[in-house]
Amino acid sequence: MNWERLLMLDRRVIFLIMALVIALPIIFPFGLPTQVTDRTQRLFDTIDATREDQAVLLSTDYTPQTEPELHPMYISILRHCFARNIKVLMVTLYIEAAGLMDVGLREVMDEFNARATTHEDSIIMGEDVVFLGWKPPPIIPILAMGQDIAGFYKQDFYNQETATMPVMQGIKNYRDISIVVAFSSGSSPLWFVQFAQTRFGVKVGAGVTAVSVADFYPYLESGQFSGLLGGMKGAAEYEELVEREVGVQGRRRATEGMSSQSAAHIAIMVFVIIGNIGYFATRRKR
Amino acid sequence: MHRKFPLGLLIFFGILGIISIFIPHPSWEAFDGMLRNKVMLIIGAFALILALGNLIRVHYLKIKRRAKHWPFSIVTLLSFFVTSIIGLFGDSGANTMDGSFRTIIGTFEFDIMTIYFKILVPLGATMFAMLAFYMASAAYRSFRAKSTLAALLLISAFIVMLGQIPVGAAISKHIPAISDIIMRIPNTASKRGIEIGVVLGMLATMLKIMTGIERSWMGGGE
Repeated sequence: MNWERLLMLDRRVIFLIMALVIALPIIFPFGLPTQVTDRTQRLFDTIDATREDQAVLLSTDYTPQTEPELHPMYISILRHCFARNIKVLMVTLYIEAAGLMDVGLREVMDEFNARATTHEDSIIMGEDVVFLGWKPPPIIPILAMGQDIAGFYKQDFYNQETATMPVMQGIKNYRDISIVVAFSSGSSPLWFVQFAQTRFGVKVGAGVTAVSVADFYPYLESGQFSGLLGGMKGAAEYEELVEREVGVQGRRRATEGMSSQSAAHIAIMVFVIIGNIGYFATRRKR
Repeated sequence: MHRKFPLGLLIFFGILGIISIFIPHPSWEAFDGMLRNKVMLIIGAFALILALGNLIRVHYLKIKRRAKHWPFSIVTLLSFFVTSIIGLFGDSGANTMDGSFRTIIGTFEFDIMTIYFKILVPLGATMFAMLAFYMASAAYRSFRAKSTLAALLLISAFIVMLGQIPVGAAISKHIPAISDIIMRIPNTASKRGIEIGVVLGMLATMLKIMTGIERSWMGGGE
């Protein structure tokens, strides 16, 4: 076998193989069971234990680049909260995320409202959920929410006054928040640990990209994070939990994407193995 | 004066920020809250103006001097002005509750979210999606077990990659467990070391700035 030629393989061939490996499983998915890890279960349990007089605060701080990994986490947690009648407050520290949050929220609200038969079953903006929008710079909202959330976010994303909203009644600051879950392609979960947890004692959970999950493990191990979702697999695990434990059916985007991600990981490993065999074969020759 | 005044401000507000954590008195907390929620927002707004002014200046000079890749600066400035004009004259979404932000200037009507969903979202997704292709190509050409350490890194990478997909558990139920051990123990230990080093470095830099030893932040090349 001519290993030297193989090692010099045109990178366009590699690109073509990758394109097929990623695209084909999207068209023809091979369903594999999702095993729920302890870090995902911990986040689920903390949200599930939210009291009636508390709310969950979601900070959605990702850009469209990381939407396939982080958006399904956000959708699943919204489904979980709405199904358990948990109040949801939402903010974003990145302006680029605001549009995605709005679309995701409407999608989940429509899902629930299509099934609703009574007013109590429906999800109503301002009653069950509020999207507080974006205010710069990032550290200021994190600190300000420790004092007075409605005082800082006087109007929501849609210019509605927040202080009079039913969802805000009894929710003053972090003392009334069961957990802050930050979905981030950057460092926002750490900002919540540094500025909200250290100072105000609120629990923090994180949903991060697979490539950055290693950076957040020290905070999970120290107990500063009450759960961690890592990449598309973390999102697929949460989808599994929401369907199994809460009984909410809906499109499982992360689970759909796992076939493609599995194939891509295996393809890269095969490339590395071939590359190494070629390297040792040609080295012996030299 | 032009050096002592900003340094004095920095020391004053720096100390305020530190001591606020140690004074749990309601009146002090209110004062601290006012500093954080009002003063810092105003400073942030000025910083935004400075940043936007700087963006325009840098790209204008690049175009004027025909610097390397100057056509991209035209795209940047055009995008900036078009988006800003549409955004500035746009409806804030009040009472619509439909997530649209319409700009109406005379007979011209446009929703700024169209730019977001039709340009920003697909461009961002494309940029990130291309990484998979470059990573595959780079892995094929560069990821070699040239030494024992490199071989260990390669094996760890394989286990963690398999642990991140359901196929790993399908091959062996031990793969996700071993992947988790790698992430929880050696990874956490090394990350902690790095984090502690970074924080100590930040503390040292903060002390140098607050004591006036480090003055490069004021400009002037000192």
